[in-house]
Amino acid sequence: MTETAVPVDPRLLEILVCPLTKQTLTYDRVRNELVSTAAGLAYPIRDGIPIMLPDEARRLDEA
Amino acid sequence: MLSDYRREGLGSNGRAGHDRSMNESMHVFDRTAVRRHRDRARPGDVEDILRDCAERLLDRLDDTHHRFGRALDVGGRCVVAPLLRERGIEVVSTDLSPVQAGQNGSLAVAADEEFLPFAPASFDLVVASLSLHWINDLPGSLIQLRRALRPDGLFLASLPALGTLAELRAALTEAEATLSGGAAPRISPFPDLRDCAGLLQRAGFALPVADADDITLLYADPLALLRDLRAAGETNAVRLRDKRIPPAALFPMALSLLPRQDGRVPITLRLAMLTGWAPAPSQPQPLKPGSGTISLTQALSEPDAPPSPPNPAGSAR
Repeated sequence: MTETAVPVDPRLLEILVCPLTKQTLTYDRVRNELVSTAAGLAYPIRDGIPIMLPDEARRLDEA
Repeated sequence: MLSDYRREGLGSNGRAGHDRSMNESMHVFDRTAVRRHRDRARPGDVEDILRDCAERLLDRLDDTHHRFGRALDVGGRCVVAPLLRERGIEVVSTDLSPVQAGQNGSLAVAADEEFLPFAPASFDLVVASLSLHWINDLPGSLIQLRRALRPDGLFLASLPALGTLAELRAALTEAEATLSGGAAPRISPFPDLRDCAGLLQRAGFALPVADADDITLLYADPLALLRDLRAAGETNAVRLRDKRIPPAALFPMALSLLPRQDGRVPITLRLAMLTGWAPAPSQPQPLKPGSGTISLTQALSEPDAPPSPPNPAGSAR
């Protein structure tokens, strides 16, 4: 990614879980994504807003 | 460990959103359309109506001595978050549309109300002002919202109830029957007020209350009503809606059929105001059945007997 990624607010990291599995997420700083290993999905963060929509998440097996 | 409400919404591969066709017949609303309508909504154009509704809902905060630290604002469209911040509450705003979520001036998360991404006990207040009525699995959403609350956290929501837009519904049905001999669902099926209280109970909220609040909007030009609905992101997203372009005469005829009052068209918004609490041991609890110490026969046979000393078990259920 060439654009400067706006990181997610740490206060959100404390309360966000995967919407499908309700499991904890890991924050990938490089890709600026929230990764749910249980669901195999990476949720993007756009302009600092976590997009917790499974339809818009990247599937990890396609990486 | 998927609980029932989630399993219902999941497709065969266990991923919602990727496979929704399986039980699409259960779905009343087209969530893709809801998302599109919210993406292009311009809530600023109807700010006064939305703010009036939000203020009526948040008035309930003044009835409690609770202090709230962090609130979840569901679909508040830029009017709820500022009102909460004025009360010194930190706000996380969520919306199906990332565009709308980001405009609230608070911490923002784009999320589907049917699949909420919040850990248990994340908030002590949840506010959903006119934002839960395009959800297919409303009981499931309410359960998830309750779980996002700490024990003794407050849930406040308003939903348009049956009676909302009744004038428009009647006029559209009449016009369409005249023009084409049939009628398509053009107004969302709103819940009855009685169903709303039941919903709260079913979702596990303690001390559930649902009451109605009627607002009448007066329109000099009924076309402005349609513009306002669009601006609020409230255009028809019923899945079985007639997707064909309606006959050109339909809307003009329907609008001319709307009843007028001193030259203006009154439009009813009937809000169901819902209040419920996440259960906590500190709340008033019902007594266990069978814990009474005076028999009913005895109580009924002595109608003039002085009231017995305070007897918790004797209280009515």
